[in-house]
Amino acid sequence: MSDKNNKIPFNEDNYTHNINRNNERKLDRRGFMKTLVGAAGVFAISSLPWGTLAAKELTGLSDKKYPKQKITDVKSIAVGDAVDFAFPGEHDSAILIRLSENKYVAYQNACTHLRCPVFWNKNEEEMICPCHHGKFNVQTGEPIAGPPRRPLPEIQVKIENGAIYAVRVKRYEA
Amino acid sequence: MKHKYRNVVLLLAVLMLNIIFTQYMVHQYFFEHYKNSLIAAIINVGLFPIAFIIYKNDKKGVSTNE
Repeated sequence: MSDKNNKIPFNEDNYTHNINRNNERKLDRRGFMKTLVGAAGVFAISSLPWGTLAAKELTGLSDKKYPKQKITDVKSIAVGDAVDFAFPGEHDSAILIRLSENKYVAYQNACTHLRCPVFWNKNEEEMICPCHHGKFNVQTGEPIAGPPRRPLPEIQVKIENGAIYAVRVKRYEA
Repeated sequence: MKHKYRNVVLLLAVLMLNIIFTQYMVHQYFFEHYKNSLIAAIINVGLFPIAFIIYKNDKKGVSTNE
């Protein structure tokens, strides 16, 4: 041993002679548990952005503002009828439905499944997408049947001087 | 011998819950049910200290036995 150290470099082709692993890579019960705790930590940290985004959506920080746009006159739409329009862009087709004398609802009518146009079915009082028979609740825009799982983006409307205006989109996805 | 692996089984259960809540969280986010998504995220974060406590308790148990 001592004469080895005196010869520099001593004759040896094993350059890792001083590494002694000493079973450090062996996965025992404790090591496995440590890995599991680490995995739980990874799950916890990966949940943070989702929670943050969900909280951001709930607080409405991502709502965008658009200039209000006239849809139609109150006189020209009867109770139970619907009228098509475009809001906020000219290619964002939307539908306005007059449910009762004073209740109007408006949605962007691209189906949340594959963006087919959604129609108002007056007889059954629900909105239907003809492509795959997706149905939406006319009061809330929530999907009630078929493949769509996300609600239609709701458009808030305002009535001024006998005309109906689209004010803003509750949630708009480009 | 058997009680040695009780904590391992508990940790595996915690990890299974993590997987379940993560998938629930992502799906509820996609379906725009943000409240459910937020609840699942909070549960997921809360599961980590539980897992850590299980691990810590296990250490204590071993040291008193040996």
